[in-house]
Amino acid sequence: MTLKLQISYVINQSWELHVLCDLSGFNPPEVAFGTYKQVINRWDAEKPISFISSRGIVMSIKEQIKSILQEAEIYRTQGLLNEAMIKYKNAAELVEKNIKQENRQSLVDGITKKIELLKKTILKYNDPEKPPEMPVEIQNLIKDKFAFSADKESAGLEGAIALSKFGQFERAITEFSELLKNDSLRLVAAKNILRCFFATSSVDGALSQYEQWLKSGIFHEGQIKKIRFFLENLLKDKGIERKLPLADIPEVKAVPEKAIFEKKSMADIPEQEEVEEDDEFLDINSVGITITDGPQKGKEVVLDVTFQSGKSVSLIVPGREKILIEKFKVGLKLDNVQFYSPIAMLNGSGVISAFTKISSGPKMGSYSLDLKIST
Amino acid sequence: MAIFNLKSREIECKIVYYGPGRSGKTTNLEYIFKTYKKQVTDQLVSIDTEGDRTLFFDFLPMGLGKIRGCDIRVQLYTVPGQVQYSSTRKLVLKGADGIVFVADSFAIRRDKNILSLKDLDLNLKECGLNIFKIPLVLQYNKRDMSSMADGSIPIMSVETMQNDLNRQLKVPYFPGSALTGEGVGRTLIESLKLTLIQLQKELKWAQK
Ligand SMILES: Nc1nc2c(ncn2[C@@H]2O[C@H](COP(=O)(O)OP(=O)(O)OP(=O)(O)O)[C@@H](O)[C@H]2O)c(=O)[nH]1
Ligand SMILES: [Mg+2]
Repeated sequence: MTLKLQISYVINQSWELHVLCDLSGFNPPEVAFGTYKQVINRWDAEKPISFISSRGIVMSIKEQIKSILQEAEIYRTQGLLNEAMIKYKNAAELVEKNIKQENRQSLVDGITKKIELLKKTILKYNDPEKPPEMPVEIQNLIKDKFAFSADKESAGLEGAIALSKFGQFERAITEFSELLKNDSLRLVAAKNILRCFFATSSVDGALSQYEQWLKSGIFHEGQIKKIRFFLENLLKDKGIERKLPLADIPEVKAVPEKAIFEKKSMADIPEQEEVEEDDEFLDINSVGITITDGPQKGKEVVLDVTFQSGKSVSLIVPGREKILIEKFKVGLKLDNVQFYSPIAMLNGSGVISAFTKISSGPKMGSYSLDLKIST
Repeated sequence: MAIFNLKSREIECKIVYYGPGRSGKTTNLEYIFKTYKKQVTDQLVSIDTEGDRTLFFDFLPMGLGKIRGCDIRVQLYTVPGQVQYSSTRKLVLKGADGIVFVADSFAIRRDKNILSLKDLDLNLKECGLNIFKIPLVLQYNKRDMSSMADGSIPIMSVETMQNDLNRQLKVPYFPGSALTGEGVGRTLIESLKLTLIQLQKELKWAQK
């Protein structure tokens, strides 16, 4: 704490002369005119430790303590608990140093009680509580408002992910289960379902879900291998070493995928293996592309990721980014690309796998770009 | 990321109240909910923890009626200001069309304001947005505390806050009190104005 002494001289009702002396001697005294309050505000000062006024009143230590306690109390009621704690401790220190032992016990007891109570509250608030299960209407709101993609499938995935991020795991599992019907999202959805079970500490739930998937045959062998690997790793993180069975149950192969869900034709969907090979990749929120030539050379354009599946990200390029639009074409390799994820920033490269102009909807005039990350 | 429905001529935009923990974001929305009954179209949704800290977000939908032939709907959100809710803040910020930054006037929260503004800058970048381009308004909240009888709470001067937060941004700012409502409406109206001007530039709805 810096020790400061404020000396005030009252000239008339609205004018006072204030001198703020730094008792440590490091700073020269500051001089200001105005009412006490104005001056304090102007200085943005922590309250001086001593306040001597020309009215002849030297703010007594007791008054100072009272004033600091008042300040602490306000911070406490505002929920600024750490700030309140600092002030209570300041007050306690002042009492300790300045008040004779025989007179201070009740004050010390009072402040100690406050500090103890505050400690408990801080502990309680810092303890990460389990997010409450919200009413269905709020879950619907989250599902709706936190899905940004225009295309229904991606929006479904975003909504379900948002529900899980907001701790609504049961509902998220329901939504992800719905997405299992979708060829291109099936594996992502399955992994997210397992994540949700683990988030609710339901290892058994995850295991029985896995067994059920084995029996149901909705995943082909390559997918099941990936899910098994994923689940075994989740278990490992929990300290559980366990080898899980593979899709060796006869019905699995006997039940053709298409019979389980009514799906659109598989013809135009690339081989599953190819789509999913790297779906362990980090969640990318945005991608920074640096312009490499021309007058804007060196400028980074940051583009929002609208959808991600493994190492493939979809981006929106606003129509105004003419330099990029002119340059972009399918097959072009982009170097020095920044990938921004919530936990890390990566530098890498990527190849443009699709680039089309958006011709309707709110993003009309912008371009949709698919980038395959090759970090 | 406003939604513009050409057919029904509706625009839905999103304004996010950002700022350090306990600076008064939720209190702003509560005041708006109480005061602008005509424009508010549904309940205020608050998802908070014990101690009234926002856990996920607050949500308040409003309807502004028709502007140049377009029905304008606005959704106000607040983020949780506490440092540990960083990923939730990012999620809530996504798709924002305008930002109100609620700073705390308590001198003791000076650093927290600055850190939160930096956090906003970073998170906007991650969403592909730019703090210098997005419609942004600052509110210096809790000014009512500076008129407390004994000046027992050190409050920063507006100049100090301007210097700390708005030296480079140079955006509109409003001293106010979410508790008494002073400045709350002006902050919101300025934010709406800037946001709609920006959307008009992007979507050109008035000419369609
Ligand atoms: N005196 C005063 N108190 C205020 C004002 N605005 C908010 N408060 C108080 O400050 C505390 C925190 O307010 P909130 O609105 O919950 O703050 P917040 O920014 O939503 O906080 P987080 O949700 O934790 O990020 C509450 O006790 C409010 O009553 C104001 O203008 N003046
Ligand atoms: Mg809040």
